[in-house]
Amino acid sequence: MSIRTVLSYALLAVGSIVVAFPLLMALSYSLMSESQIATFPPPIVPVRPTLNNYADVLDTIPIGRYLLNSFVVSTAVVIGQLITASLAAYAFSFLVFRGRQILFFVFLSTLMIPWEATIIPNYMTIRTIGWLDTYQGLAVPFMATAFGTFLLRQAFLQIPRELWDAARIDGASSLRFFISTVIPLSRPILGTVAIYGFLSTYNQYFWPLLVTNQTLMRTTQVGIAQLRFEETLRFGLVMAGVVMVAVPTLALLVLGQRQLVRGLTAGAVKG
Amino acid sequence: MRKFLGLALALTMVTAACGGSAPGGGGDSSALAPAKDVAPAASITWWHAMSGVNGDAINKIVAGFNSSQSKIKVETVFQGNYDDLLAKLNTAIASNAAPALVQVYDIGQAYMRDSGQVVPMQAFIDRDKFSTSDFEPAVINYYKYQDKLQSMPFNSSSSMLYYNKDAFKEVGLDPNKPPVTFTEVADAAKKLTKKDASGATTRWGFGPSVYGWLFEQLMATSAALYADNGNGRDNRATKVVWNSAAGKAILDWWKAGVDGGYFFNPGIDNDGAANAFNAQKTAMYIESTARLRGHINTVAGKFEIGTGLYPRPDSKPKDGGNIIGGASLYIMKSRPAAEQQAAWEFVKYAMTPAVQGQWQSDTGYYPIVKAAYDTGPSKEWATKYPQFLTAVNQIRESPQNRMTNGAVLGVMPQARQRTQKMIESVLLGRETSQAALDAAVADMNKAIETYNKANP
Amino acid sequence: MGWKSRDTRDFGIGLAYLAPSLILFAAFVFVPLAQSIYLSFFNTRATGVATTFAGLDHYLELLTSPAFRTGLLATTLFAVYTVPIGIALGLVLAVMLNQRLRGINVFRTMMSSTIAISAAVGALIWLLLLNPSLGLLNYILSLVGIPGPDWLIQPTTAIIAVSMTTIWLTLGTNIIVLLAGLQSVPEEIYEAARLDGARGLRMFRSITMPMVSPSLFFLLVVDTISVLQAFTQIHLLTRGGPVDSTRVLVYSIYQDAFQNFQFGYASAQAVILLLLVMALTLIQFRFVERRVHYQ
Repeated sequence: MSIRTVLSYALLAVGSIVVAFPLLMALSYSLMSESQIATFPPPIVPVRPTLNNYADVLDTIPIGRYLLNSFVVSTAVVIGQLITASLAAYAFSFLVFRGRQILFFVFLSTLMIPWEATIIPNYMTIRTIGWLDTYQGLAVPFMATAFGTFLLRQAFLQIPRELWDAARIDGASSLRFFISTVIPLSRPILGTVAIYGFLSTYNQYFWPLLVTNQTLMRTTQVGIAQLRFEETLRFGLVMAGVVMVAVPTLALLVLGQRQLVRGLTAGAVKG
Repeated sequence: MRKFLGLALALTMVTAACGGSAPGGGGDSSALAPAKDVAPAASITWWHAMSGVNGDAINKIVAGFNSSQSKIKVETVFQGNYDDLLAKLNTAIASNAAPALVQVYDIGQAYMRDSGQVVPMQAFIDRDKFSTSDFEPAVINYYKYQDKLQSMPFNSSSSMLYYNKDAFKEVGLDPNKPPVTFTEVADAAKKLTKKDASGATTRWGFGPSVYGWLFEQLMATSAALYADNGNGRDNRATKVVWNSAAGKAILDWWKAGVDGGYFFNPGIDNDGAANAFNAQKTAMYIESTARLRGHINTVAGKFEIGTGLYPRPDSKPKDGGNIIGGASLYIMKSRPAAEQQAAWEFVKYAMTPAVQGQWQSDTGYYPIVKAAYDTGPSKEWATKYPQFLTAVNQIRESPQNRMTNGAVLGVMPQARQRTQKMIESVLLGRETSQAALDAAVADMNKAIETYNKANP
Repeated sequence: MGWKSRDTRDFGIGLAYLAPSLILFAAFVFVPLAQSIYLSFFNTRATGVATTFAGLDHYLELLTSPAFRTGLLATTLFAVYTVPIGIALGLVLAVMLNQRLRGINVFRTMMSSTIAISAAVGALIWLLLLNPSLGLLNYILSLVGIPGPDWLIQPTTAIIAVSMTTIWLTLGTNIIVLLAGLQSVPEEIYEAARLDGARGLRMFRSITMPMVSPSLFFLLVVDTISVLQAFTQIHLLTRGGPVDSTRVLVYSIYQDAFQNFQFGYASAQAVILLLLVMALTLIQFRFVERRVHYQ
């Protein structure tokens, strides 16, 4: 191995540890007792690693159920987003119609609206139609995504014009072209949109807190908040909860990281 | 689709057009409660903000109630911390989704009363001639407005001084005589501060966090009013009055300590302040009595924890004392009479000595009824945590007056934030104490005016 | 760009494709926004119910209030500290990760791991790290002889601390987008440049940067919008303090809406924030996008 390679590996290792340090620290603290955490100098590695905090988390909150709920809701949102965003992106990239520019800006504007302006009226709507404590109440408001629409639009714009022309000549309708050509070619970018959608839904706190009352319907972030007690703080317990909740998303990242990057790479649609 | 959008919009507009109704005034409030013969509902919901060990303790009480009789079943729902719960309750009220019973923190008192959504606890007390003679006066008085109890105190704590007895011994201070006055605390802190060879401080004598509640307590031990109209208890407060000599004395003492290097400033991070004490970075600090057990368990014998009276001015004003903090239970008016009745039944159960004794033992909060101290669990607690005696004696010995009852403001959460900003400003040297006090008071008076106008 | 569709230019067909998104946006974004705008012209009770008409009172009060100016300053500082550094750092790391080395995926995953962490979780971890006396950050600094500041206590460092946390949280996204951008650059272009004698820094400046500029622009727009709406980390780290140094617009909206229960006033702030974000995005598209090199 050349000096250059060794240097590269060293830099990469250092960089990775620095970036991942907060997470590694959380893992470390989750294995320590409260007594050890409350010492100076601050501990870095657990002296007597213990799984007590994890046991306590399982005792304190039904984290399995929360993980399940988060998964179901996030998956539902992803499916919804893929459908609505790809349809809209298709219209923005392939179809020509009056007002397309304006509608595009309308989509863009939804990204800029502060959530505080919409969250309470949304809660009232969900309550009115009886969707409190339901998966649909948690998922439906987020099934449209301007962000995903833009990503997909960028990708669709790279589909070769020849394919479109060929389809026209064959007499295929726009819908047929969409389903049989555009979608299959766009799998990487669809994967990217899916992963983004999953992660951002998974990490929500305030909305699930508002629209769920039953413990059994709650999600992971609300669950972690339950580990922060009003009168005392147990760092180890909170960190254990944090680790347990982050593991699925990290796993998703490990599996999907390559996908994410590929999906965003220009020319990816060529396959 | 258009239809439900139209419905949603119409509904919110309708809610917007109608207002909430204002509550009636004083007098015998038993009329506000449902008639005595109304049968209680078969099930009610209770929203609370207790998780972990405290959450378990709540569930224990509820399980006990549910199994002790077959008429009523109480269901508990954890709604996040106090702030989140109140935000959620506020939203729920607007869409008629409030529960029958809800736990709201101390500073939410005025808001709850002004919302017109609460059936005052006094109504039930008057109707049933329920006796509150054995209730802890300091605790009950905190939740009274115009001498009527609005809610039932549930989890109550106060504030006290925590100190490191081993550190005291190390520097030659008597570990059984903690400092009490401002000067005593400052002197002790100076002795307890340790520096290493390079001049960096390795231990500070005293490390209070910048917490509005601690300031309120200091005003109370200084026998000073926080707001006018009897701290907002005789009538709605129209202004805050903490820019008095007492307020200045508190800020000057605090600033001198930080500037002198013997007070540690953890900022607003209360948990950080607690942890600094656990890690022996500070030798003394002030916080809630409810933190005692957490400290003892975390410290796990590394050093001996002592508790002392909350600091007060050198003159030890006779009228000075401690305020109660914590949360209380409210019965919501929007629920049917049967549910209100059921909620009252549960409240009565929760106040029995046996339940209170167990509650104290499980959580470290004060029992509301004095008889609870005679129960088994409570006695066990006293043996295990003798330091708690300080907390008990403190509220027993606090004179009961408007200063020690604590302030009631519709904008209390905002006031607390503002006093924190005021303290930060003084500690950072941005404003002198008087200027900071006056500026904060001016801001809050404006906020109070807005609040009073918006909530007639 | 748009291909001309031969079968129709019908508004209806286009709308049909957009309909699912538009319906959801209408129900859960635009109608609520309209309600909030409506509320911004009223005084409100604590329960959010409108009482008396206030006209432009809230807006006038905001624009003349020093607290609002402080908020704008805090927001600007926060954005200026976070966005450029976050993107630059992302670029440096993405370049490092764009090498063909064995096991590079491990490093890529580690560095982009922050994308999987929610703002609440990240802020909790950083709160531990930043503790003035017990935090690891200051301890590590002290080991190399640098006295760490009281991060969350001093106004100047508080905003930096919040910025650091936010940069860390967005690092994952930045790295992934930039890595994808870097990988889109065809190898032939580098070859040609190398034949022309370009190396190292010059190669980076004249080839890599322009090629990656679409991704940089994308991140500029997206990160700015998200930073201007960042709330959770501020709530957990500083609550808008010390002395309002981190009380960005979004945080003061939260306080007024959910803590002080002044919905009319909070709604007015939300409208102003929305206008600001829209203006900023438009400026970015107008003035910055022209320097972006599209293939």
